[in-house]
Amino acid sequence: MKTSVTRIWIIAVNTVREAIRNKLLYTLLFFSVAIIGTAVLIASLSYVEGERIIQDIGLAAIRLFSVGIAIFVGIGLIHGEVDRRTIYTILSKPVSRAEFLLGKFLGLLLTVWLQVILMTVAFVIVTSATGSRIDSGHAAALFLTAMELMVIVALATLFSAFTTPLLAALFTLGVYTLGHLSRDMLALARQAEVEGVKVAATWLYRLLPDLESFNLTIQAVHGLTISPAEIWLPMLYAVGYAIALLFVASFIFQRRDLK
Amino acid sequence: MIGKFALLMALMATVCATGFIHARMPPTTNADRGDAFVPDPAVASVLSLGFDAALADYYWLQAVQAIGGDTRITAELGVHLGKLIDVVTTLDPWVDHPYRFAAVWLTESEENVRQANRLLERGIAHHPNEWRNWFYLGFNQFYYLLENEQAAHSLEQASRLPKAPRYLPRLVARLRSQTADILVAETFLRELIRDTEEESARAEYQNALDEIEIEKKARFLDRAREAFIKLAGRDIMSVDELLAEPHPLLSALPSPEPESLPAALSRGSVWEIDPANERIVSSYYGARYELHFPSREHQRAEQWRAEREGRDSPPSGPGGLDDGES
Amino acid sequence: MAGDAREVVQVDSVVKDFRPGFGLRTKRVLHGVSFSVREGEIFGFVGPNGAGKTTTLKVLMGLIKATSGRATILGCDVAQTEFRRHIGFLPENPYFYSFLTAREILNFYAKLSGVPSAGRRDRVDTLLNWVGLEHAADARLRTYSKGMLQRVGVAQALVHNPRVIFLDEPMSGLDPLGRKEIRDVVLRLKREGKTVFMNTHILSDVEMICDRVAIIVDGVIRYQGRIEDFLIEDELWSDVVLSGLSVEATTHIEEAFDARFHGVGERIEIRIRDKDVSAVLQIALAAGAEVISLSQHRVSLETIFIDAVERSEGGGGES
Repeated sequence: MKTSVTRIWIIAVNTVREAIRNKLLYTLLFFSVAIIGTAVLIASLSYVEGERIIQDIGLAAIRLFSVGIAIFVGIGLIHGEVDRRTIYTILSKPVSRAEFLLGKFLGLLLTVWLQVILMTVAFVIVTSATGSRIDSGHAAALFLTAMELMVIVALATLFSAFTTPLLAALFTLGVYTLGHLSRDMLALARQAEVEGVKVAATWLYRLLPDLESFNLTIQAVHGLTISPAEIWLPMLYAVGYAIALLFVASFIFQRRDLK
Repeated sequence: MIGKFALLMALMATVCATGFIHARMPPTTNADRGDAFVPDPAVASVLSLGFDAALADYYWLQAVQAIGGDTRITAELGVHLGKLIDVVTTLDPWVDHPYRFAAVWLTESEENVRQANRLLERGIAHHPNEWRNWFYLGFNQFYYLLENEQAAHSLEQASRLPKAPRYLPRLVARLRSQTADILVAETFLRELIRDTEEESARAEYQNALDEIEIEKKARFLDRAREAFIKLAGRDIMSVDELLAEPHPLLSALPSPEPESLPAALSRGSVWEIDPANERIVSSYYGARYELHFPSREHQRAEQWRAEREGRDSPPSGPGGLDDGES
Repeated sequence: MAGDAREVVQVDSVVKDFRPGFGLRTKRVLHGVSFSVREGEIFGFVGPNGAGKTTTLKVLMGLIKATSGRATILGCDVAQTEFRRHIGFLPENPYFYSFLTAREILNFYAKLSGVPSAGRRDRVDTLLNWVGLEHAADARLRTYSKGMLQRVGVAQALVHNPRVIFLDEPMSGLDPLGRKEIRDVVLRLKREGKTVFMNTHILSDVEMICDRVAIIVDGVIRYQGRIEDFLIEDELWSDVVLSGLSVEATTHIEEAFDARFHGVGERIEIRIRDKDVSAVLQIALAAGAEVISLSQHRVSLETIFIDAVERSEGGGGES
């Protein structure tokens, strides 16, 4: 077990090392920081509540770009290794496929989290320069963004474990979209007259990742009270959901022929 | 060498031609199209995919752009703004200013005002400690909808909240005593000007205050005229008679133009007697209103009330909507 | 273990079906492949392109799963992972994380294989030196040439000092000097007591260094055994080159002897068994043909290989 964790960690660290030398990542990072910076200009279009708009845009940019990085760097994750046959040499070492998959997942997650940290630094600089308030609410919002990313990276890992990058990107984007609609599914289930629709919508709500539960942007920006349960319940939910996805991903990946 | 030069020239020509073409493309923006597409609030909220705060800002900036510059506020624009603010406050109901932004600009039809009030009620639900939302709601009810009882209720709510101005209970009392008049309106408007940062909105309120100022002066002249009739046993032929012998009731006439008007913009207005109804009017506005306080909004309010009460009743008072907008 | 107790790789009736499309239709690429590799030998796995060499190797590496049959390495089923710390694998045209340096990638593989940190740095340096990459050890792999990548591939296969090394087309894409270097590495491994399994279609290399070979054609093992055994498997052969051989005489020779004809027109080359040479020559001379040359044929692996392929094609045509 210990050696298994060690191997997962070795692959994760290597994935981070490989990723942070990829220029694409810096391009995305540059754009995200640029957008956080231009939030000041955008906010100046409004004659009131400029500080709030800067924060809205900053937090949105962090989420948008980290999700983008997670999906577009993540989907090539497994497929790239198979395609370029780098996986052959790795699996010829005493590494199980599950360990490999978990290592890649962890490495990508750490990479994305690193990006979030860098973007957060830019966000803090811009927001404090404009003299607005940053408090624990923002920390909570960013923490839950990190949790949402855990689910998205797990999704990207799952899809890239068995399909092509393009399809994996579409699937991940699709689930991301539906995940943000899952609460609307519940609303639909409550309103639906037809029993079949009710059942289907309810199950969609239960199965899809409830990504809206990780969205505390508005609460943070307006300084609304955030209860502890609004943080630790989504955190446990994210961890559980990601573990379940990774189980399925390993199950599929272990049975796959790497041609 | 010539080849390089030719290539450079070709590049320059291409750049210039492209720029020329671009300059000929109409720089239409969403705002220019006026009736820009505004999604249904429920749809926007579903499709925001977690970016509801940023999307709310996007529509908020559209709303701000829509009234920028010298844009004329019409009922249609009011509907458009109402939709935008509805989307903004559905996506992020904790925004603060947009509720009162809607109250300021949604004034050109009863539908506008009702929409503004619905938005204000949403604002009240999400900012239970903000007195200004109640205050704007009360103002709309009093000023545009002539619903004094509801207005009194709203202002009473406002007066109980932190930071509410001290005169609010007095306003409530006046509204309750059915003596609501231009003084109530004046108090409201002065408070709104103090509360509003945006220039064009302040100008709107100032215009309304100016009308009240002239009406107050005209009423003063009315009283002088009544005194003249008592003394002379006849009516004045012109307003200047109030200054002249044998009954110099006034030492000077009040300015027929608003005090806020810079001297350079003076139109040389005078007080005169309107031949149509024999009433004293300032040529600056050219008309008095028979209503108990003068404002074109008030005329419209009467008209809306009449329309509410029975679609067949004629609009009350001279002038009316067309006159008000001319 | 049955038979030779020192068999380190055993492949027993391995069948592999692929599903080319989304349908249920399958294509069989390995038809019950069986062979074994003994400890300390260099084993050549030979076959034309598409014969199933790489598929077999992928089954051994656990990259694909056999439809049926069993494959073991060092007595462990290939689906397991722990035994892999004792094996090394060089894939065909290896490719690595291009943003890492050779030193980093070797460190990575060494760590994955459980090389203790104490000797890891020395081991990586030794390997870099061994494959001649010490000067480029800290350059990113995307700046490497194909030959240099091949060397990195060799180094990563050996970094954890494995007992059995699997090489997939180790010579492909290399210049003659590079090929010699790989041969030297393989021979050196043999001297150190390692077992080497080598997929290749470059027969001269196999002849030069392999102890035993298996020839696979169309997913079927056609030959398996020691190189020397092949060469003395049957009697020796001779090549007779004749001109002016009549059609009747040709038919006669073809029917009476185990002969193979090459060439057309005037000049005909006939490959016959040594014991038949005098009889064939008599017939030919009697028919008025002229002997241009007579030489004893040196049976090379190529002969066996071509023979196997031709038989397979013949067999395929009949069925």
